[in-house]
Amino acid sequence: MSGSGPTPAQRLTLDRLADVLVPEGRNMPAASAVGVSEGLLDRFLDAAPALAEPLLSLLDEAPAEGLDAFVRHLASQRPGDFAVLSTTVVGAYFLSAEVRRLTGYPGQQPNPLSVASEPDYLDMLERVYERHPGYRECS
Amino acid sequence: MVTQGHQSHVLIIGAGASGSVAAARLAAAGFEVVCLEQGDWVGPADYMSAQPEAELAWVERWNPDPNVRQGLADYPLTGDADVRPVMYNGVGGGLVQWAAMWQTLLASDFRVRTLDGIADDWPIGWGDLADCYAQVARDMSVSGLGGDPALPEMDPYPNPPIPIGKIGRVAAEGMDRLGWHWWPGANAIASRRHGSLQACQRRGTCMIGCPENAKATPSLTHWPSAQAAGARLVTGARVTEIPVDEQGRVQGAAYLDRDGVEHFQQAQVVMLAANAVGTARLLLLSASSRFPDGLANSSGLVGRRLMQHPYRTVTVVCEDPLDSWQGPWGQVIYSLEFAETHPDRDFLRGAKWMVMPHGGPMFAAAEYQEAHRHDGFEAVWGANFHRAADEVFGHAFTWGIQAEDLPEDHNRVTLDPTMCDSSGLPAAHVEYRVSDNTRRMLDFNVARAVEAAEASGAVSTLVRDVWPTGIGHVLGTTRMGNDPQTSVVDRWCRAHDVPNLYVIDGGVFVTGGSANPTATIMANALRVTDHLIEARASQEIPA
Ligand SMILES: Cc1cc2nc3c(=O)[nH]c(=O)nc-3n(C[C@H](O)[C@H](O)[C@H](O)COP(=O)(O)OP(=O)(O)OC[C@H]3O[C@@H](n4cnc5c(N)ncnc54)[C@H](O)[C@@H]3O)c2cc1C
Ligand code: SF4
Repeated sequence: MSGSGPTPAQRLTLDRLADVLVPEGRNMPAASAVGVSEGLLDRFLDAAPALAEPLLSLLDEAPAEGLDAFVRHLASQRPGDFAVLSTTVVGAYFLSAEVRRLTGYPGQQPNPLSVASEPDYLDMLERVYERHPGYRECS
Repeated sequence: MVTQGHQSHVLIIGAGASGSVAAARLAAAGFEVVCLEQGDWVGPADYMSAQPEAELAWVERWNPDPNVRQGLADYPLTGDADVRPVMYNGVGGGLVQWAAMWQTLLASDFRVRTLDGIADDWPIGWGDLADCYAQVARDMSVSGLGGDPALPEMDPYPNPPIPIGKIGRVAAEGMDRLGWHWWPGANAIASRRHGSLQACQRRGTCMIGCPENAKATPSLTHWPSAQAAGARLVTGARVTEIPVDEQGRVQGAAYLDRDGVEHFQQAQVVMLAANAVGTARLLLLSASSRFPDGLANSSGLVGRRLMQHPYRTVTVVCEDPLDSWQGPWGQVIYSLEFAETHPDRDFLRGAKWMVMPHGGPMFAAAEYQEAHRHDGFEAVWGANFHRAADEVFGHAFTWGIQAEDLPEDHNRVTLDPTMCDSSGLPAAHVEYRVSDNTRRMLDFNVARAVEAAEASGAVSTLVRDVWPTGIGHVLGTTRMGNDPQTSVVDRWCRAHDVPNLYVIDGGVFVTGGSANPTATIMANALRVTDHLIEARASQEIPA
């Protein structure tokens, strides 16, 4: 990540904005509870460095009060800025080991294929073959 | 000073799908080949696919849209387009990021004018490509099952099909109940170790680069043999112009290296393989007093008739867990049930469907948000945010529906009058409208896909509108044909106007069909290259 990174005040603001988008519910923690404004944010910005500048200026712009209205305003009036905020929050949230455990997502892990056995769909395929009129002749 | 490269027999511009096929074939036949590629080599060390941050690769570095990615090799795409093209610029071209879905055109795709009274016929037929389809499938280690009755007979694929898995099974059962066509998907992904490829490990990161070297891409399948046979690949080489001599023959190409130093590569024959956007851009950039409207453009068709397969998706959400973050992210099964013209429908031609996994939770959330984008903030954020991970993630698969868009002159690539790339060359300006025929076709197919989802026992569906960014299929801007007034290249893909200039990329498509295009692009590049080799004695070259 370039520059000195988000300040503590910017991180605090992100936590509060993030909870408007991703509050606690359905047995899942709120965004701030898993640390989206901490190490997860740093990992997110390492992967998507071009979002750092627009994100940080958005955090500076956020008002001290009325964050809920601010987020809704971004969503309805400033889709580009809203995409920066929501992509950061969602991206950082799903990096959390706790969130991955709760959703049952192991990450894009290797898991070898097996092509040794005969496919179990050949009966269905036989029916495709039988009912198909054949390809369209074109001579 | 401009440095001059030693004259090659053949200069290829672009090391993507088509350029790689030509380079390997020509080098094996003993030709001196130079290929100029504006991008770099990429491989597993560059990919984010094996990192926990894999899903974030899409946000920026590995986004298929060059305007988002903004890499050094990328050029901007400007203009007002309902669908904006996407591509990858580097060794392998689009095949660095492709999903590797392998599909030949239908036999009828070559005779659209004769059969349906619209668009145009190709100057070649399916049979002219048959042997080349088989050869490129072997070279690309394709895994699939032959015998699909919707297609002409072909040689068996070199590898058994990838298992259709839980998602393919549920989708196929729905199609079976409705009596509709489906077939296990063919993919240029090795289901077992084959050629230069390792066996697929189901990571599902195919479109951000395969970290296992299991997905076919030219840096694995074509360049090792091409280079061993003597082909020279120059990376970081952005071609700026293809000049002609007084007899109207091309002499080679001017290019800039990474440091902005100008070079000239001389050649007896030039093959353009820069894709349907990049090639049109280069021909227009190469206007001269002899060709004031752009090189090889006496027909006025260079850049016109852009086709992109406008795309919609229906994500099918099921009760049972389907482990659908697992790959491969090619096509598990496909359907050609609605790919042909039908007299009862209010549109001509048709669409191809294919089943894919949906990726990790970030993708599931994005799919959910897109499908509910008109339902307001509450529908997807706040208390409802977790519904995507809870209901969709791991329980869903996607029917991708790609429409055959017909060639229309107003869908075109031109040069941007103001915006430039990092070398100071005009950006590609793209104008593209989704036609009424295509919209009706997509509406019809989406409605059928929702029926298929219901027949598969779906608990809900997430339906998306036409995707505003394309799916990497760019076709038609330098069409093939017999008549120089209505086409840019002849049946051997040689420019009607310039006897030693060939175009071998997806630009030469006369119509687009609904099939993923790369099998045809590569087979056609092989057909044309073989002809050039056979006819070498009669090839005109510069003095
Ligand atoms: C995300 C994604 C998924 C896809 N999935 C599939 C799929 O599943 N199945 C399928 O059939 N197809 C798929 N495609 C499409 C496939 O990638 C293209 O059909 C194919 O790559 C086109 O081949 P081509 O030879 O026409 O050009 P490309 O492969 O695009 O190669 C063109 C090359 O030319 C270079 N170039 C351009 N201009 C210049 C210049 N001025 N100087 C030097 N070099 C230049 C570029 O850098 C590029 O490397 C996908 C594409 C993308 C982006
Ligand atoms: S699913 Fe297979 S082909 Fe795709 S990235 Fe993983 S190993 Fe590679």
